[in-house]
Amino acid sequence: MSSTVLDLKGLMCPLPVVKIANAIKKVEIGELIEATASDPGVLADIPAWARSSGNELVTMEKVEGKVIRFVVKRIR
Amino acid sequence: MSAQVDTALQVLEKQLNRPLVVALEACARCGLCAEACHYYLAEPSIDHVPAARGEALRRAYRAEHDFLSRIFPQWTGAEKLNEESLAKLAEMAFSQCTLCRRCAFNCPMGVDTPLMMRAVRAMATASETAPELLVMLADAAIEKGKDPSFFRDMFVEQMADLEKELQTKMGDPAARITVEREGAKILYVPLAGEHTIMPPAIIFNAVKEDWTLSIFEAANYGVFLGDVARAKQIAARIIDEAKRLGVKEVVLAECGHAYASFRWEAPNWFGETFPFKVTSLIEKLDEYVSEGRLHLDPSANPELITYHDSCNMARTGGVIEEPRRVLKAIAHNFVEMTPNRHEAYCCGGGGGLVALPEYTERRLKAGKPKADQIRKTRANIVVAACENCRLQIGEISEQYGLGVEITALADLVVKAMRLPATRPEVEKLFAGDPATVSSN
Repeated sequence: MSSTVLDLKGLMCPLPVVKIANAIKKVEIGELIEATASDPGVLADIPAWARSSGNELVTMEKVEGKVIRFVVKRIR
Repeated sequence: MSAQVDTALQVLEKQLNRPLVVALEACARCGLCAEACHYYLAEPSIDHVPAARGEALRRAYRAEHDFLSRIFPQWTGAEKLNEESLAKLAEMAFSQCTLCRRCAFNCPMGVDTPLMMRAVRAMATASETAPELLVMLADAAIEKGKDPSFFRDMFVEQMADLEKELQTKMGDPAARITVEREGAKILYVPLAGEHTIMPPAIIFNAVKEDWTLSIFEAANYGVFLGDVARAKQIAARIIDEAKRLGVKEVVLAECGHAYASFRWEAPNWFGETFPFKVTSLIEKLDEYVSEGRLHLDPSANPELITYHDSCNMARTGGVIEEPRRVLKAIAHNFVEMTPNRHEAYCCGGGGGLVALPEYTERRLKAGKPKADQIRKTRANIVVAACENCRLQIGEISEQYGLGVEITALADLVVKAMRLPATRPEVEKLFAGDPATVSSN
């Protein structure tokens, strides 16, 4: 399965959500988008976006320093 | 008539209160509004005259409400709304008007064109012709309110890390960031991201304020959609939280539309007087500075500083002199832009435009008058009490080669506080000492 990788570090909310929402439209249903972000606002905003848009947040974790890595899957 | 057009017209009908009818009926077509609009100044064309924007909605309004227009529409310029004209109206309302209200302030008849543009936005949202991204951002915010449990623990954990950082920065192990603490006097509502949490946390701790942090963000994308139902749901998250915690005051982050809508519109949406006061962080900073509760050293900010009046904060919100009093206390070199205060030009990023990549080119073009204003001040630093303005001014600084630094007011206040330097021994003192975050 192909996967898109996005570097959203340095962007402040709502821009990470905006970028993910745009990117998900460009991948096929079932495909994954992996992203890294530094704005901790994504910890709440990405799960909320996934719920309201009907897509799936596969995983979300804090990695080194303040970097957050997450993977979303296009469901619809 | 298509279902989409029918829905849009129903929404227009529902919104026809007296102020909107006055805006639709009272325009004298004098054109004085043209030069009040930053879009027109950036690109003088008839499409950018606020009166012409209003006229686009008036055509559809007349076709439904004016007797003569029904019989001889060509005489009055009336035109039945159709799918094409609805799409054009929506595009105009979302991309060629930032709802800054400068035209309304400069109209001799008091015609509130942004009110009409908000009505169009509401029509577009209901008929699903509004920008998807704004709808998505509003719906994500509503989702957070439905069930905060899916992010609350992560948020509290994140604040525990931030509290540790706060203690290190302040050299004070007693500094706290509590989350949703019952009985606190103040509920501070940030924006998403710690840049709107850390500086106020430093200030609240420094003045020994009895405060706690909201788990929600102050931004309200329902307002940009002109959609009162969504805007209410987003605001209700904070209202319910404030009532549950029993706070006396809700302090909103430096965010223009959040302040204007929560302070001035929300009581009308809900038809109630809230059991708490609503203020902006800017007003609290002014209060602390005026009462001498902060030890400030203006020499910590030696650069030439100017202040951008956010339209929502100044023109709509009435917060005009407060930031200036604070700036005079924290910096020696302050210079005004011209014009300023309620006559300030919009930065071009308002009305939700910074979140809409499809209109980036248009937005940056509309930011030219603001860029020219900033350049004339020769300032090195631009202070803006609104996140949208900060994002937009950052981009126009790059676009027009201004080379300015953009900052929030609270950031400069913290700089003037000259916190204990982050010395290695201080960092060591706190290393491995898990901070406790009180959470009720």
